[in-house]
Amino acid sequence: MSDRPFSSLERVQTLFANDHYIADRALALTVKLAADLQKPILLEGEAGVGKTEVAKVLARALDTPLIRLQCYEGLDASTALYEWNYARQILHIRMAEQDVTARAALESTIFDDRFLLNRPLLAAIRHPGPRPAVLLIDEVDRADEEFEAFLLEVLSDYQITVPEIGTFKATHPPYVVLTSNRTRELNDALKRRCLYLWVDYPTPEKEREIIRQRVPGIDAALADAVTLTMQGLRAVDFYKRPGIAEALDWSRALQGLGVLELSADVLQETAGVVLKYREDVERLRALDANAILNGKPGQP
Amino acid sequence: MSDPAGLASGEALREHTLRFCQVLREDGLPVTPARVIDALHALQHIDPTEEADFRLALRLNLASSREQEVLFEQAFERYFRQQADTRQLRSGIRGETMRGQLGHHYKTLDQQVEAPPEAWGVAESGHHVDLSSRWDPDAPPLAQIIRELAKRLATRPSRRFQSGRQGERIDLRRSVRRNARHGFDLLDLSRAKRKQRRTRLVMLCDVSGSMDAFNPFLLQLMFGLQQALKSSRTLVFSTATTEITAALRRRTVNDTLREVAETVRHWSGGTDIGAAIGRLNRGVIREGAASATVAIIISDGYDNGVLDRIASEMQALQRQVSKVVWINPMYGASTFKVRAAGMKAALPYIDHFLPAFDARSLRVLVRELALI
Repeated sequence: MSDRPFSSLERVQTLFANDHYIADRALALTVKLAADLQKPILLEGEAGVGKTEVAKVLARALDTPLIRLQCYEGLDASTALYEWNYARQILHIRMAEQDVTARAALESTIFDDRFLLNRPLLAAIRHPGPRPAVLLIDEVDRADEEFEAFLLEVLSDYQITVPEIGTFKATHPPYVVLTSNRTRELNDALKRRCLYLWVDYPTPEKEREIIRQRVPGIDAALADAVTLTMQGLRAVDFYKRPGIAEALDWSRALQGLGVLELSADVLQETAGVVLKYREDVERLRALDANAILNGKPGQP
Repeated sequence: MSDPAGLASGEALREHTLRFCQVLREDGLPVTPARVIDALHALQHIDPTEEADFRLALRLNLASSREQEVLFEQAFERYFRQQADTRQLRSGIRGETMRGQLGHHYKTLDQQVEAPPEAWGVAESGHHVDLSSRWDPDAPPLAQIIRELAKRLATRPSRRFQSGRQGERIDLRRSVRRNARHGFDLLDLSRAKRKQRRTRLVMLCDVSGSMDAFNPFLLQLMFGLQQALKSSRTLVFSTATTEITAALRRRTVNDTLREVAETVRHWSGGTDIGAAIGRLNRGVIREGAASATVAIIISDGYDNGVLDRIASEMQALQRQVSKVVWINPMYGASTFKVRAAGMKAALPYIDHFLPAFDARSLRVLVRELALI
């Protein structure tokens, strides 16, 4: 290991806290081990629990660029790894045709670095340093299974093979963070290479702290009330239970509206900030809002 | 600082980790040698006398899903508690807090697995059904027709391209390479066409009393489709809902029937369609790419649950998956009218409403699907 950016767990926690991210012990240890062992981190959890944020904060904490690959169905090698710049290649060919000597050399020049377009994975591997980049592979479960095969070479050996040129090996292997919303199971071979952590909804204490950190100037009593209500909302069997992201949005909305005290009416009026399905909003209307504000909804 | 089983010394640490890995393997975790090596590496970077860190460092490497995390915690508790008991190293208070956390995990897992008790409209029949009597070995073989059905239902164009001689778009990468021999004049173009990709099937099958007459056909259909499409999931419901995917993966019909009869205790019970679809919506559908899923519901639509719930759950289901197919075995006769209230409630949210009660009608169904 050339450099170990984190001397201890506490160091990770401090660095993250400086950036207003409250990292619990499990996450801090995961980040430290990932750096020590040069292994990718695989974070799974419901949407809006702060998975993507880990990579962003990590990049800022280490003062290094964040290279992001957003996955989607149909993502393939030419968008994730590299692509040849065909237009430029063809132009080059046409120009070389004028010159007989250049023609002979064409084969060797046409697949040259100049014509190579670096996509996120290759960019992360070829990152010149001085510090390793942070590579975020977001929502990897959205990509199809074939795509995971590309990732294997990248994540285990930190290298990418371009048949026409050769193999690029990382001089500064990136820190890799994969996130998944778990809409499908990932391949075992991929999981095997990662440190796995399930990111759960935060404890009330942690959530209150996050709200205070992330929404500066929020009234302490309001932060408490929001935290309690979020506990109540998460206990209801909604299609999509609200995450931390929703809690923060809601806090900001309430702050913007100048609300100082939560009431059943306020909750119903601003439900759209917290609940993202029509059915869920309707469901909330049928429930006892006061009980939710107290964190204890009676299940109908 | 506690020291479960005296792990401070390196040798004992390795020894215990290896033995613990064996325990995990017996519990069904895929603890491969490579994973064990990774875990041992990780231990070099932590303070092994700090129990929480030791536990986490192992878990990060050895468990890779939420369910596996829970299994891991259970096994850890069991293994190291045993060790600790013999050595009397750990206090009981620590164990208490741990149990509390585990209890929480179990609760959330249970909620996902079991339907809420209030949803059981009628008491479960609770008896053991001899399913082998309901399998008709002389029925005309459905294998061929089911394979066709699976093919019709379960393919759709992928967003990925595959290069070949024909196709809707030009594959520039291949074209440039192939034409190197013509001095890079693009003479013969490679093309690319869309790959066909498989859809996931999720089947929800009514096994309540009113469906008893169709049991032989149902069993054949479920077994056949599961065998033809390995990735599909099958659930049966009456008043409760049970997933039987694993049982259907058995090689022989007899093994399958025995296992299904053992796991499903509510066969020939009442019906709660709404709760069953709710279970799909919150569980199985979300565990895979919903937009790539075809949901097949096989039921006569006679229901003693709440009708509003059927409508709302069907609506939610239709919005998530790519297609909702309802196969109604009562829909065969020409005199058939939708009389079952549950069926009426569900009707607006069905993409394809199809009849099928035997091999012949299934063949018609496949033909109709081809036209869709």
